[in-house]
Amino acid sequence: MSTKPLKILGIAVVVAALALGNVFFIVDETQTALVVQLGKPVGGVKGPGLHFKLPFVQNVITYDSRYLEYDATARELITRDKKNLKVDNYARWRISDPLTFYQTVRDEMGAQARLDDIIYSQVREQLGRYDLIDIVATSRPQIMADVTRRTAESARQFGIEVVDVRIKRADLPEANERAVYARMKAERTRQAHLYRSEGEEVARQVRSQADKEVAIILAEAYREAQGTRGEGDAAATRIYAQAFNRDREFYAFTRSLDVYSRAFKDKDVLVLSPEGELFQYLRAAGLPR
Amino acid sequence: MSWKEGGGGFGGGGGPRDPLEILEELKGRFQGRFSGAVPGGLVGIVILVALLVWAATGIYIVNPDEVGVVKRFGKYSRTTAPGPHWHVPYPVESVLTPKVTQVRRVEVGFRTVASGPPARFQRVPAEALMLTGDENIVSCEFIVQYRVRDAQQFLFRVRDPDGAVRAAAEASMREIVGRNLVDDVLTEQREKIQIESGDLLQNTLNIYEGGIQIDFVRLQDVYPPDQVIDSFRDVASAREDRERLRNEAEAYANDILPKSRGEAAERLNQALAYRATKVATAEGDAARFEALLKEYEQAKEVTRRRLYLDAMGDVLSKAKIVMADGKGGSGVLPVLPLDAFAPREVK
Repeated sequence: MSTKPLKILGIAVVVAALALGNVFFIVDETQTALVVQLGKPVGGVKGPGLHFKLPFVQNVITYDSRYLEYDATARELITRDKKNLKVDNYARWRISDPLTFYQTVRDEMGAQARLDDIIYSQVREQLGRYDLIDIVATSRPQIMADVTRRTAESARQFGIEVVDVRIKRADLPEANERAVYARMKAERTRQAHLYRSEGEEVARQVRSQADKEVAIILAEAYREAQGTRGEGDAAATRIYAQAFNRDREFYAFTRSLDVYSRAFKDKDVLVLSPEGELFQYLRAAGLPR
Repeated sequence: MSWKEGGGGFGGGGGPRDPLEILEELKGRFQGRFSGAVPGGLVGIVILVALLVWAATGIYIVNPDEVGVVKRFGKYSRTTAPGPHWHVPYPVESVLTPKVTQVRRVEVGFRTVASGPPARFQRVPAEALMLTGDENIVSCEFIVQYRVRDAQQFLFRVRDPDGAVRAAAEASMREIVGRNLVDDVLTEQREKIQIESGDLLQNTLNIYEGGIQIDFVRLQDVYPPDQVIDSFRDVASAREDRERLRNEAEAYANDILPKSRGEAAERLNQALAYRATKVATAEGDAARFEALLKEYEQAKEVTRRRLYLDAMGDVLSKAKIVMADGKGGSGVLPVLPLDAFAPREVK
């Protein structure tokens, strides 16, 4: 019971002390801190929570303990096949050892500059071992893994842990870009020509096939038709021969008469001799001889 | 950033406890502590009021789409569910309320200028243009949708998690597109590319411990660069030309083939008709002749003469007749009507 007012009093004192801000300090969950006495770190690394220090002679340096971004401007590099490539990297890193970090690079600015040097030289070295197309198409993960590993090794001495270096962009410089566009155009033109002539090819095949079939159909029809007509002619000839052979003389006679009656047209002029047998009765005036 | 230092805002869903109740309870506690009596008179009251006001600043509300993350002296202490809560006020504890269910979005290769309607977009070629595995260039515009999976990691493990998502998204998409051929990227591999780059992105972010869950990566628009788009379109129209030519040819075939089959059938039928006609005619003529022959054999002389005279009658009735003495030198010349010679020559 009697401790409670004391507690309240204690809290009040804490408030007062914090207001002074010179003894207690708070390290956020996202930070680590070093207590520096006259430029020398003392008492190790402070994690999140409430800590205290000696007022005035000691001061606090806080570092971000999260994964931090590093994003350099894109740079042109040369690949193994002597092509230029505009590479834009980024990395994620962390201050893993604030003590070493403080002693070597001091602050984030310094760290970024160091990372810049390390990453650039690593990327340049690794990219120089591959051809451009490999960098773009197949070896990218390998390159990034190598660069990450080596960068991490080099950065460790600064209390920096590099978790990932990535090629964000790998593009061609403008001059090469134009060449690529020209090649793309040429490839497309080639393809377009191919498609069109394939169309022509198919069309001609189909048309000529159709023409051929039509010709064959008509020719076969002609053959069969002529055969059929021939059969008709043959049959008719046989029938006539059978019939007329029974009395050839009479056949010749009737056919001749048919021819006479068909041969002369209206108004044909016939010059007849009255001596003919036909006019015998005309001459004889109908009298029997 | 979508989280706020200090107490939650308004509009949160009501929880089981009303802040006023908590206040009452607190007051009760204090009153309990001083056994209902007010020690020290006025000073005591002032201190009490000050304490109450201070305590009230610890009330915060976590909205349904948030979680509360409480830090004690900067160190993570606990996570609270939606609803009203209380934390020990400044400077002991503080609270962050990140929106965890909120869907976040990164646009790569373009930016939405106005969400519309009509929506307007601005292209960002520097982000969109990328190399394919056959050294072509395509423009890929895509969005990444993600959410906070782990509020603690999201808040405490990565600085600028959204920036991390953007950078990693660009890197993964370019890596995946770089493994594919330009034609595949533009056509049938889009689905696969989305899935693969999403997986790669998720794995990358897991390395960073960002507490981020990728919902999906979606390619909004994939097209050839402006410099070459015409030739790509020409290829498409060439493909259509190919189909058109084929179709036209097949239409031609479909037109002439049946017609020729019809024509063939026609010719065959004509031939059949000819044969039938020929045979029937012959049979008819033969039958007629045989019938006539039968009668003729009965009375040869008479029939002959009759037939002859019939025929002559037929002939002579049609013709113009000129009588001329068959014996030469008779000197008799027939006088012929002139019109007899008009139509044709006399033979």
